[in-house]
Amino acid sequence: MRCFVVDESSEREARAAILIDSGSPTHDSARTHVTGESVYVDDRPMIQGSHAVHSSSGFKGELHCGLIYSPYAHARIVGLDTAPALRVAGVVCAVTAADVSHNRWGSIFQDQPILASDEVHYVGEVVAVLGAETKEALKLGLAAVVVAWEKLPDIRSIEEAVAAKSFIGSERAISVGDVEAALARAPHTLAGTLDIGGADHFYLESQAVVVYPGEDGQLEVHSSTQHPTETQHVVAEACGVPFCDVVCIAKRLGGAFGGKESQAAPIAAYAALIAKRSGRAARLVLSKDDDMIITGKRNPFRISFRCGFDATGKILALDAMLHSDGGAYADLSTAIMERALLHCDNAYSVANMRVRGQVCRTNFHPHTAFRGFGAPKGVAMIESIIEEIARVVGRDALDVRMVNCYADGQDVTHYGQRVEDNHLPALFATLAQRCDYRERREGIRSHNAAHAVTPNGTLRGLSLTAVKFGISFTTRFLNQANALVNVHRDGTVQVSTGAVEMGQGVNARIATIVADAFGVALPCVRIMPTSTEKNANTSPTAASTGTDINGSAALKACERICGRLAALAIALRSIPPELWASKTAGLGTMPEISVGDGATQHGTDEQRVAFADGHVTVTDRSGTRFSIGFAELVREAYRNRISLSDYGHYVTPTLGYDKVKGKGRAFLYFTQGVAASEVEIDALTGEVKVRRVDILMDLGRPVNHALDRGQVMGGFIQAMGWVTTEHLVYDDNGKLTSHSPSTYKIPSVHDTPRIFNVEMIENEHNTTNIRGSKSSGEPPLLLALSVWTAIRDAISAVRGDAGVSLAIPATSERVLRALTPKAFAACEGLSR
Amino acid sequence: MRDFALIHLNGVRREVRGRDALMMVADWLRSELGLTGTKIVCAEGDCGACTVLRAFVRPGSDPTAPLNFEMINACIMTVAQIDGSHIVSVEGMRCGDELSPAQEAMRTCHASQCGYCTPGFVMAISGMVERHAQADARTAANYLTGNLCRCTGYLPILEAAVAVRATEKHSVAGRYSNAQHVADSVAATSQSMRIDHAGVTLVAPVSVREAVTYAALTPGTRVIGGATDLGVQVNKGWSLPSALMSLHLIGELYESKITRRGVSVGARVSLAEVRRMSEGVAPEFARFLNLFASPQIKNVGTLVGNIANASPIGDTLPFLLIAGGEVHVASRPGGKGAVQRRSIPMTELFTGYKKLAVEPGEIITHVTFDRTQPGEMLRLSKVSKRKDLDISAVSGAFSVTITARGRASAPILSSARIAYGGIAATPMRMTDAEAALCGELTSERIERVAQMIAASIAPISDVRGSAAYRRVIATNLFRRFADEVLCG
Repeated sequence: MRCFVVDESSEREARAAILIDSGSPTHDSARTHVTGESVYVDDRPMIQGSHAVHSSSGFKGELHCGLIYSPYAHARIVGLDTAPALRVAGVVCAVTAADVSHNRWGSIFQDQPILASDEVHYVGEVVAVLGAETKEALKLGLAAVVVAWEKLPDIRSIEEAVAAKSFIGSERAISVGDVEAALARAPHTLAGTLDIGGADHFYLESQAVVVYPGEDGQLEVHSSTQHPTETQHVVAEACGVPFCDVVCIAKRLGGAFGGKESQAAPIAAYAALIAKRSGRAARLVLSKDDDMIITGKRNPFRISFRCGFDATGKILALDAMLHSDGGAYADLSTAIMERALLHCDNAYSVANMRVRGQVCRTNFHPHTAFRGFGAPKGVAMIESIIEEIARVVGRDALDVRMVNCYADGQDVTHYGQRVEDNHLPALFATLAQRCDYRERREGIRSHNAAHAVTPNGTLRGLSLTAVKFGISFTTRFLNQANALVNVHRDGTVQVSTGAVEMGQGVNARIATIVADAFGVALPCVRIMPTSTEKNANTSPTAASTGTDINGSAALKACERICGRLAALAIALRSIPPELWASKTAGLGTMPEISVGDGATQHGTDEQRVAFADGHVTVTDRSGTRFSIGFAELVREAYRNRISLSDYGHYVTPTLGYDKVKGKGRAFLYFTQGVAASEVEIDALTGEVKVRRVDILMDLGRPVNHALDRGQVMGGFIQAMGWVTTEHLVYDDNGKLTSHSPSTYKIPSVHDTPRIFNVEMIENEHNTTNIRGSKSSGEPPLLLALSVWTAIRDAISAVRGDAGVSLAIPATSERVLRALTPKAFAACEGLSR
Repeated sequence: MRDFALIHLNGVRREVRGRDALMMVADWLRSELGLTGTKIVCAEGDCGACTVLRAFVRPGSDPTAPLNFEMINACIMTVAQIDGSHIVSVEGMRCGDELSPAQEAMRTCHASQCGYCTPGFVMAISGMVERHAQADARTAANYLTGNLCRCTGYLPILEAAVAVRATEKHSVAGRYSNAQHVADSVAATSQSMRIDHAGVTLVAPVSVREAVTYAALTPGTRVIGGATDLGVQVNKGWSLPSALMSLHLIGELYESKITRRGVSVGARVSLAEVRRMSEGVAPEFARFLNLFASPQIKNVGTLVGNIANASPIGDTLPFLLIAGGEVHVASRPGGKGAVQRRSIPMTELFTGYKKLAVEPGEIITHVTFDRTQPGEMLRLSKVSKRKDLDISAVSGAFSVTITARGRASAPILSSARIAYGGIAATPMRMTDAEAALCGELTSERIERVAQMIAASIAPISDVRGSAAYRRVIATNLFRRFADEVLCG
């Protein structure tokens, strides 16, 4: 083994200071969450006559909706008869493809039917919807529908799709330097294939919608959707009504994680079709089983790569081909692939790189957005390559990471964007020191050495990985947002934006931004349910941009109102209070004050205005102050006919990425972080325990420290499930068999590591985003790859020079198989 | 005969009849009473979003004793099954505007994100607070085993659970132990109950004699204990069987006792109670039950139910197979004459996949198993995708008695018992392997027995693992046990 000197003094210099939470407001719904009063879609009372009068009185109560879906991965619909269902007492109506006005939808390509008519392309593809007065009648009705299927050949793996050239969209590539030449020159090379499984979102609140038909064909849709605008549009087109006749409202979601970005829309359309047909309110709430069977998952990926590197572990060339399983329809898969390609570098500078991506069309549910949106796949590839390089060159993987890390002089990505405000070297150095990485590495080495003596014990592994996550939608036009701010005459404020609250705390953060802009207390600000009637043409709450773009739009609206209030305050200063409008406007005895565009929220050069502590204070050059209560100023503004409402439209600046060329500025900024995970493997069962996790993030200057900490921990544990226990299993018909928590195992409370440290660094200099904050939504999720690489690290203690190939998720079975392939070979002989 | 289930909900008396009585408790709360704080997510008792607190007033109990509130899953039990219970839902936790300690801790520790799992966690922590005025992290985690959260990563919830301090004012038992209500429950539960709705009849007799008579005269009657599995099946699309009999009003079936030989457990004794009883007489079984199911399920599910369900992966079955387990059944053929009783050894109980050697008309009244003997070395293990609250791929039970030491102090085994679940259509004793294991324990012998085990089991491949994986871990669990015996 070669010997490398670790330069500890340079590590020491690079360390960053830790940010202290000086007290964060709670989630704005924290109180109603704990009392059970928070209202979700299915908590809305059913519009119902009393049971006694129900069927005879003609009262048109709300209907329960149910779905008939395909049991086959690919089949022709030979016959579909809903008439027997309609003969069941209490079943009111049925809709099929023929009843859909525009039977195509899709976020990027309109390639998916709302209701399939001739053929179905995945298990769970919906062919009919029933509406019934009771759940009992619905159950009988669904059982009575007659469908005749003719099974057709299907494609149920990436390999089959590649062989059949069954693709969605065209191949995309990003390239820099000369990969072939660099590979030919590289002192070392390695190649491999990596299989990465999907994952279910497992939001606790399954897809849910209630649709109320209004007068003159209008529809009010209450949906558990991350994208009210798309849901509005899909409902309107399916029902054949103009967009102006559909309002979509999303008050709060019981979790979403990307699973309700596109796929909430057809669900809403099903209930809307029943509401339109029956003229009655209609409710569709999927069971967890149906939700998991019908809706798409995180895209599975298969990645083939070749990598060249030198004796220090410096990567000289990387060539990779990424195939993803898109499922039966395009959904968001091409955009997800794009983000995967944009994140194949992760935290590391690679001079010669070529990454290509192709989405495959298979006969699974259409796979979709899931927190991380493709990026985790690219990152998994390069992080595992680094582990492998470390084994080949005989260095600690952390040292190989630091050699390759973006830093001054090597700070331009493969798509040509410079990595600004880069804290990666400091994050590596700081976390390595704070988690005692080097000392623990020694301890683990001796623990595993004992394994040779007692092979029935445990193995340990340690790995420290990084994330550099680009924040912005990669589709430029989505990077816009609007907000409506209404100030009321008691000095309280209502804010409406396109952001959907799904647990991430976007409402609480926007409330803080607005309260601080007006200088009022947080309880004075109420964030209103997201509704397309107040905020139209919005983007999904996704890509970690919720607070960034919607908070920025709200701030713009606030600043305009503050500008007018500042001008008014300056004017009031020179008028005796007894002559103010509150005393005189009713009588019309004094001239009205009018404010132009002369003042900003900060006042003028002559008279500075500050909004703080519930007061508006004007300070002139001499330092003389004039102060008025915010609510009092608001009332004066009203009586002077000055608008107390405004609308802000925000456009993310600086973006310019050419998807065809694969070059340009794709992101406004990068959120960065590092995590060290230590695992223990039971060498006889393959069971994995995560013993300790330390995370360090750069989140700029957080708007709410506690909510960000929650996002970091939650995102990490969520992906810890993805890389370990969450295993999607399909049967020979292509039906998901792990479709409930008894078979699909997300982490439980016991899986949270006993030692779990989450910290952020101080970053006073970031100015790029609103208040200098950096988004925390998706980036920490990618850090859980350190659990997977730590498992690889532990296995390598046994496998040594053979190298470790380990798919995601690393289930107990896969881990044990990697540890003891011979035992499996012997038992497979017995099974046959 | 009563035609209603008597429930006290958040301190209010409710007589629940007909359709409502056959609804799942969570559906009843949400759709009939508008108490939507209780959430339904998985409808199979695996996520805890529907957790409520329940104090059951057993037939014949002392009406002056304070109520004992435990958490249960409201989504997989019908209202009729919780007849005689006092239920507190999340709506019953606040005192006026003042949050309960669990609610306040959850709020201030930033323990809710999307909020959907939150009421369930509030109730689980509240259930913990009824027992532990203040809990450490390990205790707290054990109480939260049955609740899933997808947003927080659990740490803030654990921080909240550890931060909670019980107060007298907010004690659920203190607030809801109304003497009149309890007396009403005792009076009601001394009467049989019969619920009829839409072709389904659920009866609850008050004696074993009444129960076996009904079973004899009503062929096809499905007997339910905790019915944690039946509730799941109904939620997942099955219809309720047309004839159901609940044993919850039969006082005799709540009896359990520790004898010189071992333990006797009545059909209605919860797994939580079995765990407490086993601590002294079969400590390894008690330890194993910690990994078994969630607190919510253990408070309702019974040992007899786990046996009667006859699943090849029933977690308690390998233990009962090697611990001299016997089930005791009662019947009254033709509904005439004296009640007849007989015993069936566990080793003869399982006749095929989900099939038992229990005759129609017979009901299981209790189960007995032997105490762990001095000198006996007993180990129970299971392997699953997730360590806690997961159905095992394979479970194993191993027991040996060491009588002497041979050459190089190798142990000499006078008896050995081995049983597995998850390796065939029924849980199985490995009698050949047991015989081969007796004698002086050497590495060679261990390997020979391991090979015998691998060859004699017939596992399947399914969602929990491949057949090869099951074979490897079945033998590995044995190897680990044997190594432990070898090393003393």
